[in-house]
Amino acid sequence: MKKIIKNILYSLIIGLNITLNSCNGYLDDVPKGQKIPETLADFEALLRNEYNCHRVDITQANLLLNDRYPSSSNLNYYPLWKANYMWDEAADRVKLNNSDETTYYASYASISTCNLIIEHAPTATNTTENERNTLIAQARVLRAMNYFNLVNYYADTYEATTAATKLAVPVISSADINAPSKQVTIKELYDYILKELSESVPNLPEKPATILHPGLATAYAFYARVYLQMSDYTNALKYAEEALKLNNKLYDWVAYYESNKSQILNPISYTATSSPYNYTYVENYNYRHGSSNNASTETNIPVSRAERFEDGDARFAARWKVRTVGTDTYYAGTTNGYFNYGGLTTTEMYLIKAECLARKNDLTGSMDALNAVRKTRILPAKYQDLTATSITDAVKKIWRTKENELIFSIVPFADARRLNLDSNYARTFTKTVNGTTYTLSPTSHLWTMPFPMGAISNPGNGTITQNVDK
Amino acid sequence: MKRNVVLGCLFLIVALLIPGQINAQYGNASKRKVSGIVTDTQGEALIGATVTLHSSNNKVIGTLTDMDGRYSISINSEFDKLEFSYIGFLSQTHVVGKNSSLNVTLHKNDQQLDEIVVTGYQTISRERATGAFAKVSADKLEQKRLSSLNSVLEGQIAGFNDGKLRGVTSMNGMTTPLYVIDGFPVESSRYTQYGSLEENIPDLNIEDIESITVLKDAAATSIYGARAANGVVVIITKKASKGKTNVSFSSTYTFSPYSYYMDNRTDAADIVELEKGWADNNPKLKVSANSSGYITDAAAITYATNYKKNAIFTSTGMQSILDYYSGNISQTDLNTTLGSLASKGYQYYKDVEKYAKRNPFYQQQNLRIGKTTDTNSFQSSVTYKNNQLEDKYSQNESVGINLANITDIYKWLKLELGSYTLYSNGTTQSYNALNPGFDYMPYNSLIGNDGNPYVSTMASRFSESTLNTIKSKGLYNMDLTPLDELGRNLTRSKNFSNRTYAKLNIKLADWLKYSVQFQYEYNTIRSNKLRNKESYDVRSLVNGFATYNSSTGTVAYNIPYGNVYFTENQFSNAYNFRQQLDFNKTFADKHDLTVIAGTEARRSKIEYSNNTLYNYDPEMLSFELVDAKMLSNLTGKLISGSYFYPSNMTYLKELTNSFLSIYGNAGYTYEGKYTATGSLRWDRSNLWGTDSKYQNKPIWSVGASWNVNKESFFNVSWVNMLKLRLSYGIGGNIAKLNAPYMTANYSQNTTVGGLQGNINSRPNPQLSWEKTTTTNIGADFSILQGRLNGSIEYYNKKGEDLLASTMGVPTEGWGYSTYKINNGGMRNRGVEVTLNGDIIRTKNFTWNASLLYGYNKNKVTYVNVKAPVYYLQLDYPDAYPVIGNSYTAIYGYRWAGLSSTGLPQVYDGAGNKVTHQPTTLDAITYCGSTVPVHAGSFGSSLSYKNLELSFLLIYNLGHKMRNKFLPALNNSYSSAINGYITDFAPVNKKINNRWKQAGDELKTNVPRVVYEYESDYSYDSYSMYSYSDINVINASNIRLNNVALSYKIPTEYCKIAHLSSARIQFNVENAYTWAANNDAKYQLGGYNSPNYVMGIYLNF
Repeated sequence: MKKIIKNILYSLIIGLNITLNSCNGYLDDVPKGQKIPETLADFEALLRNEYNCHRVDITQANLLLNDRYPSSSNLNYYPLWKANYMWDEAADRVKLNNSDETTYYASYASISTCNLIIEHAPTATNTTENERNTLIAQARVLRAMNYFNLVNYYADTYEATTAATKLAVPVISSADINAPSKQVTIKELYDYILKELSESVPNLPEKPATILHPGLATAYAFYARVYLQMSDYTNALKYAEEALKLNNKLYDWVAYYESNKSQILNPISYTATSSPYNYTYVENYNYRHGSSNNASTETNIPVSRAERFEDGDARFAARWKVRTVGTDTYYAGTTNGYFNYGGLTTTEMYLIKAECLARKNDLTGSMDALNAVRKTRILPAKYQDLTATSITDAVKKIWRTKENELIFSIVPFADARRLNLDSNYARTFTKTVNGTTYTLSPTSHLWTMPFPMGAISNPGNGTITQNVDK
Repeated sequence: MKRNVVLGCLFLIVALLIPGQINAQYGNASKRKVSGIVTDTQGEALIGATVTLHSSNNKVIGTLTDMDGRYSISINSEFDKLEFSYIGFLSQTHVVGKNSSLNVTLHKNDQQLDEIVVTGYQTISRERATGAFAKVSADKLEQKRLSSLNSVLEGQIAGFNDGKLRGVTSMNGMTTPLYVIDGFPVESSRYTQYGSLEENIPDLNIEDIESITVLKDAAATSIYGARAANGVVVIITKKASKGKTNVSFSSTYTFSPYSYYMDNRTDAADIVELEKGWADNNPKLKVSANSSGYITDAAAITYATNYKKNAIFTSTGMQSILDYYSGNISQTDLNTTLGSLASKGYQYYKDVEKYAKRNPFYQQQNLRIGKTTDTNSFQSSVTYKNNQLEDKYSQNESVGINLANITDIYKWLKLELGSYTLYSNGTTQSYNALNPGFDYMPYNSLIGNDGNPYVSTMASRFSESTLNTIKSKGLYNMDLTPLDELGRNLTRSKNFSNRTYAKLNIKLADWLKYSVQFQYEYNTIRSNKLRNKESYDVRSLVNGFATYNSSTGTVAYNIPYGNVYFTENQFSNAYNFRQQLDFNKTFADKHDLTVIAGTEARRSKIEYSNNTLYNYDPEMLSFELVDAKMLSNLTGKLISGSYFYPSNMTYLKELTNSFLSIYGNAGYTYEGKYTATGSLRWDRSNLWGTDSKYQNKPIWSVGASWNVNKESFFNVSWVNMLKLRLSYGIGGNIAKLNAPYMTANYSQNTTVGGLQGNINSRPNPQLSWEKTTTTNIGADFSILQGRLNGSIEYYNKKGEDLLASTMGVPTEGWGYSTYKINNGGMRNRGVEVTLNGDIIRTKNFTWNASLLYGYNKNKVTYVNVKAPVYYLQLDYPDAYPVIGNSYTAIYGYRWAGLSSTGLPQVYDGAGNKVTHQPTTLDAITYCGSTVPVHAGSFGSSLSYKNLELSFLLIYNLGHKMRNKFLPALNNSYSSAINGYITDFAPVNKKINNRWKQAGDELKTNVPRVVYEYESDYSYDSYSMYSYSDINVINASNIRLNNVALSYKIPTEYCKIAHLSSARIQFNVENAYTWAANNDAKYQLGGYNSPNYVMGIYLNF
């Protein structure tokens, strides 16, 4: 009996010992299905998350431009849509923008992912110094792209004379909880973008891992876009040409039209054809989605917008077809799939090149660049080379094609804001609905979007000031 | 109202008790003999009852009763009182007086006063407990059908409501109590098909339950450590009584008539009127028919034809109306059709009842056999259940087998072995005729005019363009026949689970015991669903992934046409190992010391997988490979709207939890009067959330109690027992899915390849266990010879470091989403009263009543979060708690009546009446809590000879709910029109009281119907109305939960059938509901028909 007691006490003590000392082994199981990112690949994978990183939503800009067709009941349903689409200057958009506007939230979510990568890549394991630098550079370019979209949406457009005094959007460079942010001036933000680009370029590969990863050509193309927005034609031209050196392919929309002709020309069929404007589109420098990362059918456009396309535009004919549902008549999207609304393509470089050459009074060179694009778009039966009589004429012709080609990307909105500053190009929109005439003046406050209410009421460790009163 | 109920019940009990007072006689006594007999209430002699002599300053054990319950004792004048006590019975003290004979009837101790308390780790006498325990014994359960643990517990424990004890104490952790069966915690976490974890109540044969003890406060629960903040439910199963073999059998049959409440629902005529209204008010259709009754106006025809072509409204009534305005049918035809539709009443619901549903029927049989000898106790039981559910093809059955044996190997060594096994299988119908895949109205039917099953044709549901695609490309037919779909695509599941334990108890000395215990749990659930290729579901799936190759002119079905076979496998196991030393010794007859110390290890694992096979042949077991990657990126689908995700092929989940714990607990009692207890436990686990310095924080409690009635100065003869208790301590709680580090999950990127990562949670180094501090003050009492007994508890449960939502900063990339850190505070305060009284107690007639009352008030004391957008406050109040309000809050707008044009209005933040939804938080007000403030039950049983009638009323008062069944037409999104349109659907019949003309706003709060083409149509009218406080309704209700009538067959008849006893019982479950509000009653299921139960219970 005594022996038994002794043995039991002994085993109990051992039991306690095991509990105290070897619990580390027993408790080392980590939950499956998730992990703590440690290797560079773990962080690199964050960049492949298209929902978090690559959604570029510019719904309100599309509505203001009347590029997107909202059904009449949708206009009723969303007062903010109506304010922008109907150019209602009296509407208090600050108050109406009370939902979690994706433009803002998705851009900062993408910035946050980039910040995480930039912060953690230097200590990530299983990698080389080169891979590390490449990933950091790619995240910095992507982050800069997000800032470019934000500043061209929520702040006034870049103007050398006012950029240093007008506020842009909050800049945040850390992914930590309670990291400070600062709403910098427009000039500071552009300087920041340019600095990020210049420091990243040396580390960018010519052939990145996927189309989601910015490569060298992407950075050049983005440089061109930024410089054009700053009306720095010399630099814009330089980088557009650099980008085109790496890729100058144009997609043959005429051929696409020919092969899908039966479907395109059938007036009662709205069955969608597959969109070629996807990840593998030959014009891509990089790929980013529009507002949704799911495969979808292309957005409808108003009849008035359809009228601004060139006669014989195969790309237009392949994408939209007139449709009446109930009381609404519009051009319904007829391609389904993915659309590179958020990335950069060769077309834009051709057209930036064309505008820069025009600005330098090289009208022939300018029109050559423009026509290079048009040849792949306009059906041969309708095609004629365009020529320009003046800089203004050239820029207007380029603008028309650029608006059509890059519809639903930030570019038409950014271009309109930029060109509205110049009385040679400033354009007033007018339309008549049910007998009432509506106008959108080039100087309207509507051209700057208000921050969503959630952002204003919860700015984090920083402050946010609206750049527009209503 | 609720106060009156409580007071009324209290008064009733007290008033009825007074006449049954005790008798006592007084007088002087010299040394002499007193004798008598001690019996129980049935007249059975109590053998070995203790008779104690009392003097003013001394107590001496006098004698014990003999085999006949007789005693005889000499007393001198010093002793003037005799106390009679017996285990399991209430003690009685009698003044001897001049009597030489004193017969005593002792009363059984009822639920509140059972002598022992089982915590799962130890069994202690109730006298020495300092914590808040509530106990339900088996005979109390007899009155109910033993269908599930939850239904059995309903109304039996004060403070236990809706599966939760003492309110909600965690914002993100678990809120359900821990279940412990025969000493072992049993957790039944399962993965759902969508990867979320759900907690289930463990399986057992409910007939085996001997007692259920609910541990409520920190002193009671802290021994269970980090998982016990929500209380612990300890279940002890029956052991056979000594003597001959115990055999008992029970069988219950439950009939539950199918019911679908329609009286508050629009009927066919109401719907037709609403549909007509759409055309009558439509400015595009302000045209009249020509002389032959046809519409000829070109604009109207174009408009109506277009609506029809695009399948914007697909209900039968709307289709006829559009036909008329398209010029296809005459006005007479239209009127005939609409008149006939309007006359159908509730046709569709009646057809559903007739053709698609049945009356549920449940049966349950149980056989229990046990035998106990001096050295061995064996117990076994088998329960068979068969449930036929209301859906015609849904049914399940199960067999549960319980085996337990306790053997004394030596005097000092005892071995307990036990095992519970459950086999079950079931079939679940997936097609629901009340959500049939087309827009049904009350006038529709399931049988067509020709007597064949009704077919919802694709032409009635799809637009011209889609129909054209289906026809021209030769896709599969999309007609839908509801009655054919009922028996298709059934889910079949099989479950096997087992729990086996072994316990070795070694008695080292009379005062020292060592035990080792081990339990292994094993559970598999397999289910499959064969999606039949004939079914609409499969045809629609295959069509949804069809593409067209324009160069070859062929259609590619990227998902092959054929059966789709979905299988699901879930496996879980867990083990629990515990060793423990129990010390129990009394020193110098008055110092009682109980100490336990032990270690425990627990590990559980759940693995889940599902798998889908396409074009599956169940005969050949063959299937076809699909290119999942291609499918997930497929573009140019002929019919848009289908998406393929990796989980449409395979989905995997796994979770392992490990815990190691050291615990100890000590209790000291002085002279049986004063008790002090303390307990301490450390838990460590593999959960990320606890792998930090914080997990070394112990969970502890202290408690004290005082048995007032044992004091010599306490001389209140009508108080048999009075005990005061006080406890304080900390309980923990775990949020299983949070981590102190940044964590990410990874999946395949199907578009560009490689893995894509997603950050799950931000780094949160301060993550720790949630801490809940509970202070509990309680009193147990028994008065008037135990005829009234009960307890009163006050508690203050303070949650600190609760994992709470904290504002996600949009600029930090966390948008409107929030993340969780340990900074929430919440308080639950409450009072619980349990009263149980024997109002009348005679040989043939007894009347017993019991009242449970629980008051709970929850308040959020700290959070750092504010809804970034107004609707998040309305939709997710639990993610955005507000300091000072209840955590379980409902928010809404202040209703401001209807406008002069019949539109709903609410007050905005500035107090103005508005017709558009206010978008600022200051317009949103707190409307109350969804958790009852006052809850409890009142039960009573009357028995006369062999007949017993009992009932149980359960009340829940002082809480709110949102009215979800509104008298207003919602909006629905029409992909054809790319926007929102009026959603014609059956709604609350009160829509007939809607605003119709100016001035109605003074008489009604039901808004006008605004169709989508009107200028007053507004996207937010409906949601503003639904969120207004007139639609936050009082949810207070009283439910007649159970009525039981039982008859005990007289012994003489039983003997003929070789039975020792037999009982027949008839129950009505959920017999009636009273609710403060009819809409609330509807949502609470108060209009559902009751269950009728017939049961026989036999003991051999």
